[in-house]
Amino acid sequence: MASISVQHVSKVYPGDVTAVKDCNLEIPDKEFIILVGPSGCGKSTILRMIAGLEEITEGDLYIGDRCVNDVPAKDRDIAMVFQSYALYPHMSVYKNMGFALEMRKMPKDEIDRRVREAAKSLDIEHLLDRKPKALSGGQRQRVALGRAMVRNPAVFLLDEPLSNLDAKLRASMRTELTKLHKKLGTTFVYVTHDQTEAMTMGDRIVVLNNGIVQQVDTPQKLYNAPCNIFVAGFIGSPQMNFLDAVLQKDGGNYCLEVNGDRHCLPAERAGEELKPYIGRSVKFGIRPEDIHDSDAFAAAHAGSLIDVDIDVSEPMGSEVFLYLKYGEFELTARVAPTTALKAGDHSKIAVDMSRVHLFDAESKEAILNL
Amino acid sequence: MSAKRTKRGVASLLLAVASIVYVSPLFIILFNSFKSKTYINLSPFSLPTKETFAGWENYLVGINNYGFLQSVGWTLIITVGSVFAILLFCSMFAWFITRTKAWYSRVLYLLCIFSMVVPFQMVMFTLSKTADTLNLNTPWGIIIVYLGFGAGLAVFLFSGFVKSIPLEVEEAATIDGCGPLSTFFRVVLPIMQPTYITVGILQTMWIWNDFLLPYLVLDQKHYKTISMTVQMMRGSFGRVDMGAIMACLVMAVIPMIIFYLAAQKHIIEGVAAGAVKG
Repeated sequence: MASISVQHVSKVYPGDVTAVKDCNLEIPDKEFIILVGPSGCGKSTILRMIAGLEEITEGDLYIGDRCVNDVPAKDRDIAMVFQSYALYPHMSVYKNMGFALEMRKMPKDEIDRRVREAAKSLDIEHLLDRKPKALSGGQRQRVALGRAMVRNPAVFLLDEPLSNLDAKLRASMRTELTKLHKKLGTTFVYVTHDQTEAMTMGDRIVVLNNGIVQQVDTPQKLYNAPCNIFVAGFIGSPQMNFLDAVLQKDGGNYCLEVNGDRHCLPAERAGEELKPYIGRSVKFGIRPEDIHDSDAFAAAHAGSLIDVDIDVSEPMGSEVFLYLKYGEFELTARVAPTTALKAGDHSKIAVDMSRVHLFDAESKEAILNL
Repeated sequence: MSAKRTKRGVASLLLAVASIVYVSPLFIILFNSFKSKTYINLSPFSLPTKETFAGWENYLVGINNYGFLQSVGWTLIITVGSVFAILLFCSMFAWFITRTKAWYSRVLYLLCIFSMVVPFQMVMFTLSKTADTLNLNTPWGIIIVYLGFGAGLAVFLFSGFVKSIPLEVEEAATIDGCGPLSTFFRVVLPIMQPTYITVGILQTMWIWNDFLLPYLVLDQKHYKTISMTVQMMRGSFGRVDMGAIMACLVMAVIPMIIFYLAAQKHIIEGVAAGAVKG
């Protein structure tokens, strides 16, 4: 078990391609941290630098209190689960799981004990004599986990381990991985581009874009208080709606002018931080679940009604996604399945102005998260 | 439907005839090896009769008078040694140049490919001179020459296969505690088994049957391969002993036929391996 400290780490590939830029991360012992971001954002590169599979161009990396910049991968006391599982195709499941221990010249009895113990906990005891090609995707995934577990490593590194599984299996493996983390009590660093995995599994999430860490926080804080437009748009599905607005002061209230409509922010929650933006363009963000179609809500929020055309209605069973046209903007609303609205309708719906996010139109940084 | 069947039937017939034409020399050699040498020249295409049948005589002559067994020994040493060297060094080399993304890796790969398109006849005289100067005119020395000649095809096939091995498997081995050598011998080499078999078969057949290279390079006073011995039979003792030649050819070709039949499945597997991502 160990903490990880990433201090001003950068990775530049030949040809001056910067994959990671001045990354700083403090991962405490036993934390389940998720690195998330779009393809090419540098999340796998960070993981591979922690693993020792990529050299660090600049900065320092500590596992525990040891600087591991120049420590070979095999001596870092880490285990890694790869996206493709990377099982040795010529070895049986037993041999695959015991290989790392064999390389460490561990006594055969001890290897046997550890392999069987891990196989039992992952429910793959009956597969020990099989070769990887005779296993299903989910079974291979378990073997890859077992191979990492037997080593009892200080840090578990997982590189999109669920991305090759079907949706149902992925959901069940998510739960199992969370349980495994609790059971092992080890530091987990998990890379994914799937925000559902990120939101449901991690203690904290690191959002990356273009090799730069955007925000590090708990899933709920990332969702409720994104630090910039990228994080706001990346976290949440369907993603946050963004509208171009102009901030105005109307008496004592701050209001947003959008499409000729004027929507006022709750006076008690909008404060001094908005002063410099009066008369300026801002980005107005609203999550799909904060757009309401119910009459009761509309009656209580008459000042925040907007005229929309319903483009598409997507019933999801437990909810309905409405794709709306509001002037030049396209919005998504998440409403109850009992909604009467359907594609082609023209309606007035209400925006919950107490759940608004405002961003600087130029710097894209958050100004206000209500 | 019937037109398709007729077409297929005609194609099968043509292929059957072509196969018989290809295999017929082997049968001609086989039944001639059991005929008295006089009748081989008189009626080379007739089957042995009571009158022409010579039993094992030709085989005994070949073995006792022409040192055939000794040449089998030298051929075996050269073939096994060369194939072993080609498999070991070329697979390691191919792995290295495929995984090392440097400019020289590409140059080395292209050089290997280039060596395949240079005809042997272009280099044979300079080669025999150089081999002589470097004292490579022994069965041990010729192994190095074969390594050079076999490298082109071997590196080409091995590189193709290495590209199909996910890099992550090797990275997993690194994390599991392997250095470059143990990664190669414990992980890469067993995965490449189909290509080893293919390269091994192709090189074995070539080296076992090769005449020109050992003829040019080897010190013929001391070392003769099977092909050289058969060639020497023409004109030795003042006449051509066709009976012994036929018997020796049969003895030389039988191991290769058995070897090929046992391994032909792997040749196709190995050549196809790496062609598509698995």
